[in-house]
Amino acid sequence: MLRKGRWAILLTAFFSVVVFSQERIQLCATCHGPDGNSPDPKIPSIAGQPKLFIETQLVLIREELRKSELMLPVVRGMKDPEIIRLADHFSKLPSRGMESGNPDAALMKAGAERAQALRCGICHTSDFGGQKQVPRLAAQREAYLEAEMRAYRDGKRTGGDTIMAATLYGVSDADIRALAHFLSRSKAPAPAR
Amino acid sequence: MMKLIAVAVAAAFAAPALSQDKPAPPPAWHQGKPPAQAESKLAPHAGKMTETPASEIPIDKLKLPAGFKAEIWASGLPGGRAMAVSEDGKKVYVGTRIIGRVYEVTDEGSKRSVRVVVDKLTQPAGVAMKDGNLYVFAIDKVLRFDGIAKSSDVKPVDMTAKFDLPKEQHHNWKYVAFGPDGKLYVPFGAPCNICEPPSKEYAQIRRYNADGSGKEVIATGVRNSVGFDWHPKTKEMWFTDHGRDWAGDDGPQDELNRLAKPGNNYGFPYCHANGIADPEIKKQDACKGVTRPAALMGSHAAVMGVKFYTGKMFPAEYQNTMFLVRKGSWNRTKPNGFDVVNVRLGQDGKATYKPFATGFQQGADTYNFWGRPAYVHQMPDGAMLLSDEQTGAIYRISYQRPKAAAKKQ
Repeated sequence: MLRKGRWAILLTAFFSVVVFSQERIQLCATCHGPDGNSPDPKIPSIAGQPKLFIETQLVLIREELRKSELMLPVVRGMKDPEIIRLADHFSKLPSRGMESGNPDAALMKAGAERAQALRCGICHTSDFGGQKQVPRLAAQREAYLEAEMRAYRDGKRTGGDTIMAATLYGVSDADIRALAHFLSRSKAPAPAR
Repeated sequence: MMKLIAVAVAAAFAAPALSQDKPAPPPAWHQGKPPAQAESKLAPHAGKMTETPASEIPIDKLKLPAGFKAEIWASGLPGGRAMAVSEDGKKVYVGTRIIGRVYEVTDEGSKRSVRVVVDKLTQPAGVAMKDGNLYVFAIDKVLRFDGIAKSSDVKPVDMTAKFDLPKEQHHNWKYVAFGPDGKLYVPFGAPCNICEPPSKEYAQIRRYNADGSGKEVIATGVRNSVGFDWHPKTKEMWFTDHGRDWAGDDGPQDELNRLAKPGNNYGFPYCHANGIADPEIKKQDACKGVTRPAALMGSHAAVMGVKFYTGKMFPAEYQNTMFLVRKGSWNRTKPNGFDVVNVRLGQDGKATYKPFATGFQQGADTYNFWGRPAYVHQMPDGAMLLSDEQTGAIYRISYQRPKAAAKKQ
């Protein structure tokens, strides 16, 4: 009897974790896309992002160190094991480019040059696929990249390392636009780093 | 703005194709990177911001001298580093950097419970206890929790205005401690890898009365000290100090320093380690009047906490020796540190050291590490706590004299 009861508790716990995680994944998918590739240009794709990067950002937002009015209600009170499960799930999904329309040749060229000059590849890796706590930029949404780079430059995105603010210090809006155009159309590398 | 080393920086980072109207100041940890290393992928290691379950910590990999044993004493404190302990040893307060929290670990005998005392602070790395009150130092804030060990819901007293904290953040996360004179010792690091500090408030150690009055600068030329203690007999202060980066794999070594008298200058930014003049920030007679380290602790090793051992549990040979934690390098092709060393003082005022706790890496030549040791603290029973900033755990190191009959090997 006792043994049976313990099994029941274990099974309930197991299924509540699975069901609960599925619900959370659904919630993420509402905005970030069912496969983690965002249909909304202002919302980032999270598929294939490095696991540590997703974990770190969810913690920073939960602790209100990275300000996000949209995300805070979602992650408020979220426990670490669930953050780790979500990060694991989305980091394993394949990423794909979501921008439509033909790339602008001049912007592509300018963006590639600026990415080279700013040495983005040293931390974000040479294919812009990201690593560890450093995000994938390739195939990220263009409007999101542009908005976040401007926020870093203008001291409005804070909470983590100051390297992005320093890297983008004094970079013009036009250069940021070119970088965002180029990176959003760079081929998405394979996930699971 | 800061008088940074514009020449080397501009050479390394100038981006001629960009329409920037002013040169970008690189992140503080990047400053001083020479053109030859512009493509270097070396960067500070990523911290872990989520809880690591005790079952995922390979504590059996930790190697200690015969008779010593390590166990996981507490876990679930992401980013936990410096520790301050209540008088009865039942509560341990633990500071952090990026995650912005101070934890309270309560010893319940067979297990420990963890709660967050305060969060959303900017790198509250400094914690100290005096007369039952907890002092918390963030980069831009000082809070005092009166009688916290007895009343957990105590509201903090904001003491920030008393301490005259400068505005730059880099290297201004803190280690703080009360000295045998009852004063509160607080370091103010250089806000860069290498630079002429923007004002006289940086690269120094100060002491204050417990209420923040009586500010006194007691050491200058200190780049980034995040660990100190006082010799149990001489009462002299000993402190660790991180050497500069981007000066090569075998660049100026980290230091263990002795403060024989207040007012000593330890050389930064002109003179490093055992009398090495800085290659970029130059001054005539760069090392003149500079107090040399008592021991060189390895290039880029990241010297953190240091404590004199005065307990009765460890063998007598450890009495009044120092345990010094080296969190481990990043700015070096081959790793250095990732251990706890035991430091002994010679008759000549110099110190020598040998490894005490090792095994945080999977192979000595690889950056594949599972832990990054940060601070040690002696408990009332003579056991030693060791915090691990990577796993967010605290290990307890104890000693049991091997019984001759039970001796194996």
